[in-house]
Amino acid sequence: MLKNLTKWDQLKLMQKVNFEPNIVAFLCNWCSYAGADLAGTSRMEYPPNVKIIRVMCSGRVNPMFVINALQEGADGVLIGGCHPGDCHYVQGNYFARRRMAVLKKLLDYIGFDERRVRMTWVSAAEGKKFADVIKEVTEDIRKLGPMQKIRRKNNW
Amino acid sequence: MVDRKKLQDEVTRVVERDDVNYVVGWEKGTYGFQMTPLFMFSSDDVNKLSFNPLCVHNLTVFPMLEEKLPLRKGAKEDTNKIGVIVKGCDSRAIVQIIQEKGIERERLVIIGIPCSGVIDPKKINKNFSDKTKVLEVTDDDKNFIIKTDSKTHKIPKDELMMDKCKTCEYPNPIIFDVLIGDEIKNSKKTDNKEIETFEKKNLEDKWKFWEDQFEKCIRCYACRNVCPLCYCKECMVDQLNPQWVRRSVNVSENTAWNIMRAFHLAGRCIDCGECERVCPADIPLRKLNKKIEKDILELFDYKPGVNVEDKPLLSMFKPDDPEEFIL
Amino acid sequence: MEDLILPKNKLSDYINKIKSDYTIFAPIKKDELTYYSQIENPSDISLDFINSKYPPKSILFNQTETLFKFKHGLKAEISFKEFKNSKNVIFGIRPCDAKSFFIVDKLFKDDYVDPYYSSKRENTVLIGLSCNLPGKNCFCTSMDGGPANAEDVDILFTDIGDKFYIEIKNIKGENLIKIGENLFNKPKDQDKNKLKQIKKKAEETISRKMNTTGIVDELDNIFDNRFWKDISMKCIGCGICTYGCPTCHCFDILDETSLREGARVRVWDTCMNPEYTIHASGHNPRPARMNRTRNRVYHKFNYYPKNYNVIACVGCGRCINECPVNIDIIDVITKAREVKT
Repeated sequence: MLKNLTKWDQLKLMQKVNFEPNIVAFLCNWCSYAGADLAGTSRMEYPPNVKIIRVMCSGRVNPMFVINALQEGADGVLIGGCHPGDCHYVQGNYFARRRMAVLKKLLDYIGFDERRVRMTWVSAAEGKKFADVIKEVTEDIRKLGPMQKIRRKNNW
Repeated sequence: MVDRKKLQDEVTRVVERDDVNYVVGWEKGTYGFQMTPLFMFSSDDVNKLSFNPLCVHNLTVFPMLEEKLPLRKGAKEDTNKIGVIVKGCDSRAIVQIIQEKGIERERLVIIGIPCSGVIDPKKINKNFSDKTKVLEVTDDDKNFIIKTDSKTHKIPKDELMMDKCKTCEYPNPIIFDVLIGDEIKNSKKTDNKEIETFEKKNLEDKWKFWEDQFEKCIRCYACRNVCPLCYCKECMVDQLNPQWVRRSVNVSENTAWNIMRAFHLAGRCIDCGECERVCPADIPLRKLNKKIEKDILELFDYKPGVNVEDKPLLSMFKPDDPEEFIL
Repeated sequence: MEDLILPKNKLSDYINKIKSDYTIFAPIKKDELTYYSQIENPSDISLDFINSKYPPKSILFNQTETLFKFKHGLKAEISFKEFKNSKNVIFGIRPCDAKSFFIVDKLFKDDYVDPYYSSKRENTVLIGLSCNLPGKNCFCTSMDGGPANAEDVDILFTDIGDKFYIEIKNIKGENLIKIGENLFNKPKDQDKNKLKQIKKKAEETISRKMNTTGIVDELDNIFDNRFWKDISMKCIGCGICTYGCPTCHCFDILDETSLREGARVRVWDTCMNPEYTIHASGHNPRPARMNRTRNRVYHKFNYYPKNYNVIACVGCGRCINECPVNIDIIDVITKAREVKT
């Protein structure tokens, strides 16, 4: 039965059977993306559920990105930025911090679990921290289950 | 209470200035209890002006709606001013827009009227039949006095007043060039009880409530158009490249629209209540915006539309902003 | 076929009888607002309303309609919707809203017959409900209609107390009535008198009138007049009037895609939005609100009558009730007639 499906559909079926969370991570180019790179080159193991989108600065992350990610099928969203004071563009991470604080409270008020949207400071030297963060976030979201609430149904 | 003659005299003085194009005020509407915005270009127009507790519109949206069409060759830009009549809450919108550099202070002539509360059009239409001929509406300390062609009704303010007025902390305009009427001593305080009760519900109940509400949304964008602070040249929902919010009407897109509009008003919404008043589907939009207002006061100690010198909320930061949620 | 009487307590039985063959849309009350919606249970029907918040045009002309779906691949697959010939009944539609279908038909069935609209329109039976108490802003009598106008419905119900007086207008209605034959009685003289009384009272209750004689020529003369700038300065360009209007029919067509599949979707659009006329070059032929408000009035009272011989307004008054800044179409037309060129 499985052989008659395309490889893509096989994968989707397997996903339904054991829930593997889909996590989208917006990582800032200079710190967290480099940190993720370091985790990779140091051959550190971390769950493969995260899909990384590189942005130049965490301040680039518009809350619309987060909502869109949740609509398109992400079960969780992670925003990674430089430590406060170390932003390559001086202030971007401060603005991102403010925005995420407001967004998380708003999402909780609407009825989405605010643990689905996480933020983290990971510097370019913290490969291990990145791997630990991904492990923690993946486990948390695995416990929360799939995000169905505003998923785009595409049942035209 | 505002003396109509005094109001009209002051406004005439503003309208007749050379550097003022027109003044926006209110006049009697075409049916029932309606009032409607009035644009006064000359002193003849000012005769129609009146102010009473039915004047619920926030007129500060009109200076922001002015279209700046391309100029003809050799024509100079029009630097004349626009006059606008504001109540207490409306003036906060102007303060907030000036804070964000959305408009220059010199472009406006602000005529302020202290206001102790306006009547909710939905509530008053329930109390009176469709055939009522309204002659005059005024108020005293405790009641709204409604004179119809059959009798004079005295109704306690609490029954007819808009919900936003019950917790209004700024009855006097914060910014004005001319003030008409006496300053009102403020006796009301913000009440966050409803928000706090809702916050304590569990996630499933909260989502069920909002899903029902957002299902009603028809995406007419009246909330966006009537808001004085929604003045983006290109709104995110009209953007097609990339398209963030699809134009299909379903719960997913409606939720994205409403959440993002509430977010874009974080630190900017001054709770004039217009969005909730105009919504044809009766969605409780103030509930969303007030939640953000409460949060930003707790997290960042910021109140929108109060001080012109303040920096806008999301355009500035403090090194010790709360970050317990960050890993 | 002759008139009939249906006692109110037999209405649920009738609805249950026709439910097996027809999908029924009827007014339901949700949070104090009345909407037309598909019903499963006749007890959901609420006939205690003046008119619904939104017109029933959304039943035949959906707000979001999929035109076709497509899938990526070596051969792109395009799949059209099958037009199921499911039979619909709209129960309790007001005469003004029924007239709006007649008006919009002329456009959707013009040189190109819109299959998405016509397939539903042909299979829909309209059971009208005359207005006993018109609303404060109703002016259907000025627009060639009336609270008990039965020209555009297949069956007309009138509430005469504890029964409905039924008038059958055509063969479509007759076939629908035949399904519940034994539930109906013959009307007595007192019923006929009550009917006349109610119709007369309803017409007298309508207090707002709009004079539309020669409006097409009058509007032709004042197109460039400053009047339109004055009247539209307070318009905030929202779109409530268009979405609430039973005859407004403009739409936008967009593609929505996900990674491997997508669909072409038709959605309602409003001419009050500046994006409605913006060109790919960035030029907008209707740049100011004045242009757009003037266009809406002209479309209804000048362009549509020129093309199809009928004014695209039924006098339901929803735009007047809902407009946040009280732009009143009766007021606009009355003032337009008084403009001195």
